[in-house]
Amino acid sequence: MDESEDVPKDFIKLKTEKLSVDEVSELVVSPYCGAVSLFIGTTRNNFEGKKVIHLEYEAYTSMAETEIKKICRDVRKKWPSVKHIAVHHRLGVVPITEASVIIAVSSPHRAESLEAVMYCINTLKASVPIWKKEIYEDEYSWKENKECFWANSEK
Amino acid sequence: RLSSGRRRHREPAAEGSPAGDRGSMRCQQVSVLYFARSAELAGLRCETLSVPRQLTSLQLWEEIVKVHPRLAVIRDQVVFAVRQEYVLLGDQLLVLQPGDEVAIIPPISGG
Repeated sequence: MDESEDVPKDFIKLKTEKLSVDEVSELVVSPYCGAVSLFIGTTRNNFEGKKVIHLEYEAYTSMAETEIKKICRDVRKKWPSVKHIAVHHRLGVVPITEASVIIAVSSPHRAESLEAVMYCINTLKASVPIWKKEIYEDEYSWKENKECFWANSEK
Repeated sequence: RLSSGRRRHREPAAEGSPAGDRGSMRCQQVSVLYFARSAELAGLRCETLSVPRQLTSLQLWEEIVKVHPRLAVIRDQVVFAVRQEYVLLGDQLLVLQPGDEVAIIPPISGG
């Protein structure tokens, strides 16, 4: 068995088409890994009593991909046994219940991939230049992640 | 409706500067990118602006607000990305090269 043939890879994609859990999981599957951990961010239909019609995402695409690559690099420093990482984020209109983001990580044993997935989504929310607009019936709102250190949510 | 635009901001302060002059008053053409709320307030997504080669990040913000006064309302909630590195609005000295990308970054909400 030659594990050097299964070089660790990062799969990063920002796209307007519907995301696929099957596709993202299959990217990270490895015969040397006993665990694939997954996070799916989906669209809720309500916020503070208002009905959400759909979400719209935009991104500073080139910088977002660079920042996600930095997250992958940090994951590999913290959890060296992690094999493959996939981060797919949807842009444009995302209907209710559909996925906005899917993150998958593989590792030989489950602890590392579970922790790495949580780290990925938490850090993405703090550092990747992507913006979400919630569309309600009569208005809309640009959302601000609480993880974003330059958001002024106490105004 | 948002659109790209070209806008010349101001003339360089030094008159008749010889080629290769590296004075900090010399202006530089940079690409400014607007996202999310800042794009709505500015009314466009990108443009070329002429700004001093060296200035603090706060001074750069003030140059941009001169062109788009409606941006003033989000001053306390934005950071810059200069050459794709985050920069707070403040005393940090920026040295800009021609064609550098400067982005206005409102609070992010990915994921």
